[in-house]
Amino acid sequence: MATPVWRQRLFGTPATGIVTVLLALVLAWIAVPIIRWALIDATWRGTTRADCAAGGACWVFVKARFGQFMYGLYPGDQRWRADLAGLAFVLGTAAVVFAPPRLRLKAGIAALIILPPLGIWLLGGGFGLQPIETREWGGLMLTLFISVYASLIAIPLGILLALGRQSELRVVRLISVLFIEFWRGVPIIAVIFLASLLLPLILPGGIGIDRLARAVIGLGLVIAAYMAEAVRGGLQALPSGQREAATALGLTYWKATGLIILPQALRISLPAMTNEFIALVKNTTLVLVVSILDLLGIAQASLADPAWVGMSMEAYVFSGSIYWLICFALSRWSRYLETLGRRQHR
Amino acid sequence: MSKALALFNDKRVRDVIYQVALVVGLLALTVFFVRNASENMVKAGIASGFDFLWRNSGIDVPFVLTDYTRAGTILDLFWAGVANTMLVTVVALVLATGLGFLVGIARLSSHWLLSTIAGAYIEFVRNIPLLFFVLFWYFGVIAALPAPRDSVSVFGVAFLNNRGLTIPLPDAPANFRWAVAAILLSWLAQWLVSLWARRRKDRTGQDAPMLAIGLVLIVLVPALAIAWASLATRWDIPVLRGFNYRGGFVVIPEFVALLAALVTYTAGFIAEIVRGGIQAVPHGQVEAASALGLRPVRILRLVTIPQALRVMIPPLTNQYLNVLKNSSFGAAIAYPDVVSLFMGSALNNTGQAIEIIAMTLAVYLVIGLAVSAFMNWYNARIALVTR
Repeated sequence: MATPVWRQRLFGTPATGIVTVLLALVLAWIAVPIIRWALIDATWRGTTRADCAAGGACWVFVKARFGQFMYGLYPGDQRWRADLAGLAFVLGTAAVVFAPPRLRLKAGIAALIILPPLGIWLLGGGFGLQPIETREWGGLMLTLFISVYASLIAIPLGILLALGRQSELRVVRLISVLFIEFWRGVPIIAVIFLASLLLPLILPGGIGIDRLARAVIGLGLVIAAYMAEAVRGGLQALPSGQREAATALGLTYWKATGLIILPQALRISLPAMTNEFIALVKNTTLVLVVSILDLLGIAQASLADPAWVGMSMEAYVFSGSIYWLICFALSRWSRYLETLGRRQHR
Repeated sequence: MSKALALFNDKRVRDVIYQVALVVGLLALTVFFVRNASENMVKAGIASGFDFLWRNSGIDVPFVLTDYTRAGTILDLFWAGVANTMLVTVVALVLATGLGFLVGIARLSSHWLLSTIAGAYIEFVRNIPLLFFVLFWYFGVIAALPAPRDSVSVFGVAFLNNRGLTIPLPDAPANFRWAVAAILLSWLAQWLVSLWARRRKDRTGQDAPMLAIGLVLIVLVPALAIAWASLATRWDIPVLRGFNYRGGFVVIPEFVALLAALVTYTAGFIAEIVRGGIQAVPHGQVEAASALGLRPVRILRLVTIPQALRVMIPPLTNQYLNVLKNSSFGAAIAYPDVVSLFMGSALNNTGQAIEIIAMTLAVYLVIGLAVSAFMNWYNARIALVTR
């Protein structure tokens, strides 16, 4: 009779057995109180702090504050606008992904022209919609907004910089390298301070620039430098014969780049670019230092509410789980792309 | 006309035109920004120049390593911030490397439960923002620690409470200077002995008992030196008086929280680098080594780790630079690093945004360049030599 695999793996030798038992004890010591707090002793029903039993988690707090976690201080009766913007974004992305290959480029360009202004118009208002200032935006909605709009700056700029770094023109190469290494060398938190202080200073007097826009521009510039390195990986992985063949066919630099080089290079660097996007989602939290309240900022601010004293664990666990779910899903997707790419290369 | 067109069709001429156009465009943009900035600064009444650095700062800093006081200049404040940034970076770097190696090796363990726990840890920390951990440790964990009266005692000499970690401080640091000198001397001796041993091995093929010598010189001598210095010194052990501890040295809660966040977060990334590096060593290498009769520990030390290091050093350098840059996250909980002291307090007092931002960014660029230069030197030293 063969020993079952689990027994061989966990109790194969006396030493393994001892390690297993010790680890199980440590795990139980850590996990049991957490499970008791989060599930068994927790309170799910009710509306006020008084409804919560002592000892367990008070999920009533999360329920009561759910709207703020999602939308920040966005007026309650206007929240459909944020939902609609999100829906438009999801539908637009789906349309590009599922479009027939021949139409995909056109669909992508159309989405890029229509969606970003539409999103800003829906969220900010004007032209008949009630204007809502950016200081009222917040929560998960703002986290996603900043991530998407910063990458709208970062991806095109990053591709240009990567091409510049690979260019045979010396000055172009030097400028790209300096730009990339500068932004990669300084902390993002300093860049956000820098953007919020310097942008109003270097623009002509009278042109005010929204503080949210400043943070998005700052983040976009830094992520562009990181994106450029991700794209460079793809460009370097491409055999030089591709460009030589394109040149031999008489294609100009931009035609060869747009039709032959970039489509292949971007496919190779897509996993790396996804990883940079994950980093962007995580670094979005830093807008907190210029008092813009994204999901983490709202969670932090909710701790000051006198009606809900001592809810820090609940706020952290809830907001942390959302970040974890988003980033974990993205990282799995990036790993899937990687295996897909490896299979296609064979 | 056609001559100009023909000239433009010459690739070399065209390239020069493109590059000149780019440089002129960037210069025009810079001039535009600088002119706007100087106009806006005149309007706002902000002076420019670095004279403000010698002004009195009047800013209190809760945690200083330099001899800065609030009577010092703004330049002193700047150096106090730089020192605090360096301190948290170096300590976090060392601890994160240790924890990262442990987790990375555990991830590769054949023990299923151990590798699963390591994997879960990695997936947990890597997918959550670092700022989350900083806030969590500061507001969630340290704020929840007991008040000084009910401190968590560490062997009765150090005390952890919601005002930070109080550790004993030596009264006379002179003994420690001797101890440090002794440690450096014994490490130098170890280095010389290992050089001699390698030469002798190349000449005669004989092994020297390097493990025993190393243990004595690297571990035993320093341990004895530190023990002697600790015993010979009168320690200022913190004592509870009234509501707080007197004496000793208080490591502020901001430092503890920032350090804990940096270490736990970075270790997750280092663990993956360690795993990748070890997995990149072809299995045949280990098999060949064991066929030669090497014991597992020697295989790890002589075959696996040297080859894995080659793969690991470049991404490890990136992580070290990240620790340096991420130490600025302390600004969110007011740890007095260079960002929060200089870009925060000093900038608020003087309003000299451009100078202060330039100096702060320069700190990170200079230290970052130094770190990557060192790591590149180390990388070149251990790189594969092909003849």
